[in-house]
Amino acid sequence: MTDDAGLLEETAEDLFEDAPCGYLTTRLDGTIVRVNRTFETWTGLRRVELLGRRRFQDLLAPGGRIYHETHYAPLLRMQGSVREIALELVRADGSRLAALVNSTLVTDASGRPRVIKTTVFDATDRRGYEQELLRARRREQEIAQHLQRSLLSGDLPATDGLEVAVAYRPAVAGIEVGGDWYDAFWLDDGESVGFVVGDVVGRGLEAAATMGQLRSALRALASTGLQPGPLLDALDGYARRHGVGQMTTLAYAELRLRTRRLRLACAGHPPPVLVAPGARPELLGEGRSLPLDAHAVRSARAEATLTLPAGAGVLLYTDGLIERRGRSLSDGLDRLLAEVASQDDQAPAALAPAVVHALHDPGHADDVCLLAVRIR
Amino acid sequence: MSAVARNNVVVDGRPDGRPMIFAHGFGCDQNMWRHVWPAFAGDHRVVLFDHVGAGGSDASAYDRERYGSLHGYADDVLEICRELDLHDVVFVGHSVSAMVGVLAAAAEPERFARLVLVGPSPRYIDDAGYTGGFSREDVEGLLAALDSNYLGWSSQMAPAIMGNGDRPDLGEELTNSFCRADPEIAAQFARVTFLSDNRADLSRVRTPSLVLQCSDDIIAPEPVGAYVARHLPESTLVHLEATGHCPNLSAPEETVAAIRAFLAA
Repeated sequence: MTDDAGLLEETAEDLFEDAPCGYLTTRLDGTIVRVNRTFETWTGLRRVELLGRRRFQDLLAPGGRIYHETHYAPLLRMQGSVREIALELVRADGSRLAALVNSTLVTDASGRPRVIKTTVFDATDRRGYEQELLRARRREQEIAQHLQRSLLSGDLPATDGLEVAVAYRPAVAGIEVGGDWYDAFWLDDGESVGFVVGDVVGRGLEAAATMGQLRSALRALASTGLQPGPLLDALDGYARRHGVGQMTTLAYAELRLRTRRLRLACAGHPPPVLVAPGARPELLGEGRSLPLDAHAVRSARAEATLTLPAGAGVLLYTDGLIERRGRSLSDGLDRLLAEVASQDDQAPAALAPAVVHALHDPGHADDVCLLAVRIR
Repeated sequence: MSAVARNNVVVDGRPDGRPMIFAHGFGCDQNMWRHVWPAFAGDHRVVLFDHVGAGGSDASAYDRERYGSLHGYADDVLEICRELDLHDVVFVGHSVSAMVGVLAAAAEPERFARLVLVGPSPRYIDDAGYTGGFSREDVEGLLAALDSNYLGWSSQMAPAIMGNGDRPDLGEELTNSFCRADPEIAAQFARVTFLSDNRADLSRVRTPSLVLQCSDDIIAPEPVGAYVARHLPESTLVHLEATGHCPNLSAPEETVAAIRAFLAA
C-alpha cells in the first residue's frame, strides 16, 4: 500500500514531462510555446531553442512540411483534430524520427481556436514494418506485371495469306494486372492457326498465374488435333481437376488457311465479330457454351463452323471493350459493330488499335484486349 | 458523364448573381472554402467543385493522360463553365488551382472577368535565377509522406469512398475525409502540381487578377507571389497577415475582405 501511495503522488507535472509520448503546445501558426521532456529527449532539441523560436512544421523534413501545409493544417482546421498522421521529425543531429502525430485544436468559450495541442509517438518500428509491407506489395505487382508481359509477348503467326494483330490496353486506374490474355500459334498441320482471347477471374499475381496455366494447357491440347468444341471440353476438365480458372471465359478458333474454314467455340465469352469485304460486320453467335468449370453437369461443348469469304477477318476481344457503366451489353455490341464498320483501314494492324482507342472508356477500370485476324 | 457530375459541382447563392467559381488546391476538397463562399452568396452565384480524384468527384473518371498536366484540370473548369453557361466569371483558385485558373483564363479570356489567386506559385522547384522554394528531392519526400498516409483509404473504406458501397455504418463524415484521395491519383496530382512550370503562361492572361500573398507561407513564399504579380499583365498584389498556406481556413474574414475590395475596385 505504501508503495502504491508513493506512485500515486506523481504530480501532473511529472506526468506531462515524462509521459511516454512527446507533448507540444503551439500557437495557431505552429509556433511552439511548450514541450515536454520526452520530446526534448527524443529529438535532441532543447526547449530554449524551441519555445517561441520554431514552429512545429519547421521540425519536419521538407516533403513532410508540404504535407503539413496541404493536408495536416487544413484537416485540423476543418475537423478540430487530426489523428494518426505519419510524419518524420528532423532531430538536432539531422537524423529522422518516424512519428505518429495527433493534434487537437483548443478553442475558447466562444468557439474561436486558441492553441494546438499535439502528441508525438515514436513509430520507428511500426514505420519500418509498414515500409516492408509496402515493398512486398510493390514487389508482388512487379512480379505479376512481369509474368503477364512474358505471357503476352511472343511472335504472332504471319504469312503472305494471314495477318494477325493485337491491341491490349491495361486498366488505367488499377495497380494490379488484370486477367485478360490472348494467344495465336501455328497448329501442327502447318497450315492452320489457332487463336484465343480469354478473361480469367480476378487480378494480380493469382490471375497472371492462372492465365499462364490455361494458356499452356490450351496450346498443349491444340497440338493433339482436338477441334475447338472438344478442346474446350478437355480444358474444362483440366480446370476442374486442378482447380484452375473457374469461371474463365474464352473464345477459341482455328482457321485453316487453304480452305478458309473457321471452327469456333466460345465459353461464356462475348461473340467474335466477322468482318467481310463489302458486308456489314456481324456477330458470330454460334458455338456457345458456359464459362470453364461453371456448372456441375457437363455436356459436350458447342462448336460452330463457317467458311470465311476471301479477304475476310475475325475479331476476338474481351468484355472491357464493350462494357460501360449504366449501358446494356447489347448497346456495347452495337457500338462495337458500328465502330468496326466506320474504320477505313480494315487491316488488323490498323483496325485493332483504332477500335480499342475509339471505344476506350477511361472511367472503366478493366483491361481491354482485341485480337484481329484477316486472310487474303 | 457531365462535368457537373464528374466534378461534384455544387451551386449556391444568388441565381442571377455574377458567377464565382471556387477551386480547391492539392490535398483537400471544396470544403476548403466553407468559411469564404457564404460571404459572397448574397450577391453571387457560387459554384464549388472537386477536382477529379478529390472529395466527392467521380474518381473513375480519372485519366492519366488528361490529368497528366494542369491543362486537364483547366479543361474541367472550362467544361463546368460551358455546362452551367457561366460568363463574366470570377475565378477564385487556391494554391495549384491558381495556375489552373491562369490556364483557363488564357484559353478562354472572354469567359473570365476576374481572377483571384490565393497563394499562387507558377513553379515550386528552384531553377536558374528563380527560387520556387523546393527541390526535386523535397517532392520525393512529399510522395513518401503521401505513401505513409493513405488517409481513410484502407480497402475497408474504399467502397464507401467510391460511392458505390452501401455502408451507412461508416457515418456521414469519415475521419480525414476532407483530404481523402485515391493513393495513385494523389501521387500523380502531387507530381503534376509540384513539378509543373507555368511561368510562361502568366503573361498570356488578360484578365485583371488579384494575388493574395500570405505571411510565412512555405508553399508559396513572398518572392514567388511577387513574381506572379510582376508577370501577370494586370495584377494587384495584396499581402495578408494570415500565416501559412491556407488563409481561406485560418483567416477567412481577412481573405473575404481582400477579395471584396478587389471586386469592388
